[in-house]
Amino acid sequence: MRLELKDVRHVYAPGTPFEVEALRGVSLAIEPGEVLGIVGGTGSGKSTLVQHMNLLLVPTSGEVLADGVDARSLEKRELRRKVGLVFQFPESALFAPTVEEDVAFAPRQLALGEEEVRERVRESLRALRIWDLAARSPFALSGGEKRRAAIAGVLAMRPEVLILDEPTAGLDPAAREELLALIVNLRQAGISVVLVSHDLDEVAEVADRVCALHEGGVRALGTPAEVFYGEPAQAPATVRVASLLKESKPEIGDPVRFEETLAALKALPGV
Amino acid sequence: MTTRSLGQFYPVSSPVHALDPRAKILATAVFVAGLFLIGSTAGLLFVAAALVALVALSRIPAGTFLRLLRPVLFIVALTILFQVLFSREGVTLLEWGFFEVRSGGLRQGFFLALRILLLVSSAGLLTATTAPVALADGIEDLLSPMKRVRFPAHEVAMMMTIALRFIPTLGEEAEKVKGAQAARGADFSEGGPLRRARSLVPVLVPLTVGAFRRADDLAEAMESRGYRGGEGRTRYRELRFRKRDALALGVTLLVLLVGILL
Repeated sequence: MRLELKDVRHVYAPGTPFEVEALRGVSLAIEPGEVLGIVGGTGSGKSTLVQHMNLLLVPTSGEVLADGVDARSLEKRELRRKVGLVFQFPESALFAPTVEEDVAFAPRQLALGEEEVRERVRESLRALRIWDLAARSPFALSGGEKRRAAIAGVLAMRPEVLILDEPTAGLDPAAREELLALIVNLRQAGISVVLVSHDLDEVAEVADRVCALHEGGVRALGTPAEVFYGEPAQAPATVRVASLLKESKPEIGDPVRFEETLAALKALPGV
Repeated sequence: MTTRSLGQFYPVSSPVHALDPRAKILATAVFVAGLFLIGSTAGLLFVAAALVALVALSRIPAGTFLRLLRPVLFIVALTILFQVLFSREGVTLLEWGFFEVRSGGLRQGFFLALRILLLVSSAGLLTATTAPVALADGIEDLLSPMKRVRFPAHEVAMMMTIALRFIPTLGEEAEKVKGAQAARGADFSEGGPLRRARSLVPVLVPLTVGAFRRADDLAEAMESRGYRGGEGRTRYRELRFRKRDALALGVTLLVLLVGILL
């Protein structure tokens, strides 16, 4: 599915002293099968933006198009199934007695047969490598396990677009690596992924394109190299090294892969 | 932040906002008690005029203030209806089968409606012009004489402050959890009351778990900063009862007195 946002504005609490314009005309498309990274400082509008993608928030003006059709005209539940949104700290919405039951919540809402629900739960738990935790209480898990259980809960809807809002925040490096591997796997399976992150290195590593938000507007949109080379001081380490190497090693790809850059470095004379 | 309702603080700067919270709490208490001593519609109208002037002075837009009153409009309407339908005083103005509308009923209905509106407006003005923390500080001070009889004034005020402080936080948390469950296909507006109540379970469980975790965190944070209860505790913002506060109380009493005499 191709998801497109056209000139989306969002104003919180209009007409009160608390009024805030969180998005000031954002236009952006998520192409089928791509990984789109969204970066930006705190308060730049990242979380507000992603909640427009499944219409949890309705734009104050502008529109959201799903395959060219106004998303507001679609059935809400169907839209939210196709566009899976994993909130920031999604583990705070775990509620069921067991991980299995929690992951089954979303597919149950889709009125599927019991066998189909079980199948999807199995598939999601496997994808997140937490199959062995199925019978445990979600409240008794470690932080990283909870996070994965919550993501499995959205993946069980078999979304066409998966939005992950800061999925690696507060995770240890091993859990972070596994999540990034999951994103790469989903992309190979043809699912588009929107990755919101503060960590520019991880975005540079997995994203096909990057959108940089600043004060509610799109500051830059393009491949990681295009977006990050312009701002060397804040660019991810890998990208900075790659940009230095690129002159002598034009084969360094875009997106910049850590392994490629490392290989290019090792191939330098005297290293 | 999306819904504004009765009792929400409206942060602008005005002479009313600047008054000592103790003066405002006392004045409101006196005002509410005084309302029940006023026996004539003329008296209530006079007091109402004074309150309107005070709202104007508080720089709260009239529309916003009237919206504060919306939750009680149903009760006001019901009061008027009952008075009009069941009063047997005064001359008959309208007759329609079993029902008759008499002048006494209309007058009485208007009187009671005005009293309810004034009650709610005065309390609404207090909370709209006083920050929750200042309100709790004021209550603590006013209750502190009762410490002699071992009434835990500081603890009560601290509990109020914490409760008030966390209402918006819990509200935000509820919005987030609702959003997360809606993203998983939950629908909170579908079906009968029972089904809707059941659909709230996936929201209430995480909220409760979160509230307990937050309470633990808060207790630990307070303890690590040396909180030991009210004994010997000083304040960052000292309350100062100034001349203008005494003046405000005096004017309130005067207005009420005139209202009672009218």
